[in-house]
Amino acid sequence: MPTYPALDTTALSRRRLLQLLGLGAGTLTLAACVPEAGPAAPNAAGTAAAGTKTDFSFASWSLTEESAAPAIRELLGQYAGDNDVEVREVSYPYNEYISQLTLQVKGGQVAGAVHVDVAWLGSLAALGKLQDLGPLAQGVDYTEAGLSAATFDGVQYGLPWNIGAIGLIANTDLLERAGIAAAPTTVDEFESALKDLKKLGGGVVPYAASTKAAQLKDVLIWMETFGSPLLDSGKVTIGDDASVEAVTWYRSLYDQGLIAPDVDRFDARSLFAQGRAAIYDDAIVGRDAVVTESPDKKLADKLTAWSRPVLAAGDTPRALVWGGAIAVVDGEGAETAADFARWMTSDVDVARQYFEARGLPPATESALVLPDVADDAFGAQFAERITATATTNPFWVYPQYAQIETVIAEQVQAVLVGSAEPRAAMEKAGAAAQKLVD
Amino acid sequence: MSALTPTRTPVPRTPAEPGAEAPARRPLRRDLLRSERPGVRIAAWSTVVVFGGFALLPVYWLLATALTPRDQVFAYPPRLFPATPTLDAFAALAGNEQLFVYLRNSLLVSVLTAVLSVLVSAYMGYSFSKFRYRGRRSLMYFVLASQMFPQALLLVTLYSLFSAYGLLNTYTALVLSFTTFTLPLCVWMLKGFFDTIPDELIEAARVDGASRLRIIHSIVLPLSAPGLIAAGLFAFVRGWNDFIFALTLAGPEKQTLPPGLVNTFVGEAATAWPELMAASLAVSLPVAIAFIALQKYLVGGLTAGAVKG
Repeated sequence: MPTYPALDTTALSRRRLLQLLGLGAGTLTLAACVPEAGPAAPNAAGTAAAGTKTDFSFASWSLTEESAAPAIRELLGQYAGDNDVEVREVSYPYNEYISQLTLQVKGGQVAGAVHVDVAWLGSLAALGKLQDLGPLAQGVDYTEAGLSAATFDGVQYGLPWNIGAIGLIANTDLLERAGIAAAPTTVDEFESALKDLKKLGGGVVPYAASTKAAQLKDVLIWMETFGSPLLDSGKVTIGDDASVEAVTWYRSLYDQGLIAPDVDRFDARSLFAQGRAAIYDDAIVGRDAVVTESPDKKLADKLTAWSRPVLAAGDTPRALVWGGAIAVVDGEGAETAADFARWMTSDVDVARQYFEARGLPPATESALVLPDVADDAFGAQFAERITATATTNPFWVYPQYAQIETVIAEQVQAVLVGSAEPRAAMEKAGAAAQKLVD
Repeated sequence: MSALTPTRTPVPRTPAEPGAEAPARRPLRRDLLRSERPGVRIAAWSTVVVFGGFALLPVYWLLATALTPRDQVFAYPPRLFPATPTLDAFAALAGNEQLFVYLRNSLLVSVLTAVLSVLVSAYMGYSFSKFRYRGRRSLMYFVLASQMFPQALLLVTLYSLFSAYGLLNTYTALVLSFTTFTLPLCVWMLKGFFDTIPDELIEAARVDGASRLRIIHSIVLPLSAPGLIAAGLFAFVRGWNDFIFALTLAGPEKQTLPPGLVNTFVGEAATAWPELMAASLAVSLPVAIAFIALQKYLVGGLTAGAVKG
C-alpha cells in the first residue's frame, strides 16, 4: 500500500505560528525603521528664461481625463513647440496620484513640473525635493488667495493654477418647487429648508452630504461652522463642545432623513445630476460632471452656489479651499519646468484657452477679468459666495493629514450609524488625531 | 509497461459484474433536479435559479450599463433593461488604440507570470512533497508566511529593488513582482498534487534507472498536468487582475489593463461608466474563455490532495 505524506506534516502548530508572526512583525519593524527623507531647504527656482531650455516632464492626474487631457496636451504642445523642447507626460488617476507621485519623487523617477492639489503640498514638501517658486511668483498678478493656497510653511512651493473652493451647490428647480425663495443664512434656516425639500417626496434627498467614511472629512467644515478651530497651536480641538455639537447636528440630519446614508462625492454628483438631490458639496470642477451626467439638458442653468450657513447671523461663512497648483521637483529639466509652470499659470492666453475648455477659475487677476471668465454667471457667483471666504484645512500642514482625516471620519461614521455617542466619539477622534500630529 | 510511461488507474464507472446491483448513489445534481418529488424538484430548481442569478447578475449589469447612454446610467428608478440601448461605448473601445496596447501588455505579463510561477513552483512543490531534508517544513512555512506581508510593504520594497537595478518600467519588473505573490499558493497547491502521486511509481522509475530529472520531467509533471494547469491559471488570473503593482512598476508604456482602464475612464470629477463597463466586459472574455476551456483541469487541480486515498 502506498504511503502518502501524513496530513500532520503540513499542520501549523501554535509555536510555528508565533514564530511566523514574530518574523512578520520583525520585518515590519525593520521597514518602519527605514529613515524618511526629512524636509530640506528648497532651492530657489532660477530664471529659466536666461538659460537654454531643456526637456522636462509634466505630471498631472488631469492627463488621464477625457474632459481635461486634450486641452492640457494642446498647451503642452504649444510650449514644447515654442521652446523646442519635449515635454514628457506622467499621469496617474486622481485617487492614486499623490501616493504614486510621492513614491516616484522619492525614488527619483519623477522630476520637473507636477500638478498638485493644494491639499498635498505639505506631504510633497516633506520629501525635500520641491523648489521654492517664490522668485518666479514675483511680478505676476496672482491672487492673494491663490498664492496663499500654494504656500506651505511660508515657502511658495507651487504656483497657483486653478484656485477655488468647495461649497454648497443647489438646484434652483427643486428649491422653487419646495418654496425656498432665498438661500438660508443660518444653520437653523438651512435645516428648515431641508425639511421643506424633504416634503417634495419622490425619493429626493434634500442634502447629499457625505456620509461614507471615505469622504466624511467634509464634516470638518461644519465643525468649523459650529466654532471648532480643529487645530489650535498644535493641539487638536476635536472633542470640544463645538465639534460635538456639529456632529450631533449632522447625526440629527441623518436621523431625520435629510441626508442619506452611504453617499460620497461621486454618489452626490450622480444624485444631483439625476435631480434626486437638491443640495450637495462640491468644487466648481464638479459642474462638468453633473451637467454631462444629467438627463436634464438645462441643469447648467439651474445651478446656484450658496454660502455655507453660519451658526449665528453675522458670522463669516466657512468654505474649504480647493484648487490645483504647479510645483517643480528638483532634477532633470527643473529649470525649464519652472518656466513652464509660470507660463501655464500666468499667461493670459493660456488662461483663456484653458477656461474655455474646462471652466475652472484661473488664479491671476488679469485672467479673472477676461470677458469669458467674468461672464460665467455661476462661476462668478461661486467665487463671490464661496471662494471669497475659503480657508485651508489646518491639518494639511501635516504630511499625514490623510490619516488624520481618516481617524476622524471613522468616528463620525460611528456616530451616524449609532454605534457611538457624539462626545465620546469626538474625544476619541481628537485623541487619535493628536497622536498623528505629535 | 515501463514505469516511465505515465498512466493513471482507471476509475470504474459502472458495476463490472453483470447482474450487479445498480449504483447506490447517482450524482447529486441529478438526484435533486430530477427528483420524483415535486417539492424537492421545485426547491432544487429555485436554488439553482437564485444562485445562478446571484452569480450572473453582476455580469448582466455590466452589459446593461455598457449599452446605456451615459446620461441614463444613474437614472432613477434604475432600469433592468436600458431604455435606449446604444453600442456607442463599444464603438469607442474599438477606436481606442491604447486599450489594445494595455491588452497586449496584460496578455504578455500574465502568460509569462503563469509560466514562471508554474516552472518555479513545480520544482519547489516537488521538493517539498517528495524529499525529506532538514529545514524543509520551516522553508514551507516561510514560503507561506510571505503571503502575510502587506502588499504595500512588498510594493515599496520591490520598487526600491527594481529602481536600484534599473528594472522599473519593464515587463521583467511586472512578471517578477506578480510571481512574488503567486508563488506561495502555487507551491502549496502543487505540493498537494504531488502528494497524491504514489511514491512507488517514482521508486519503480528509479529501479528502471531513471535519473531524478528524468523522473520529474517524464513521470511526475505529465501526471500532474491538471495541477500545473490549475496553478498556471491561478497565476494568470492574479497577474491579469493586479492593479497597484502594475500602476506603480510598469510606467506608461508597459501598463496593463486594470490601471490602463482606470487611467482612461475614471476621472477626478466623473467616470465614463458605459465605456468602463464595455471595456471590462471585453477584457474579461479571454479569462472567461480560458476558464471554460480548462475548467475540468482546474477543478481536478484545486481539489487534488484534498482527500487522502
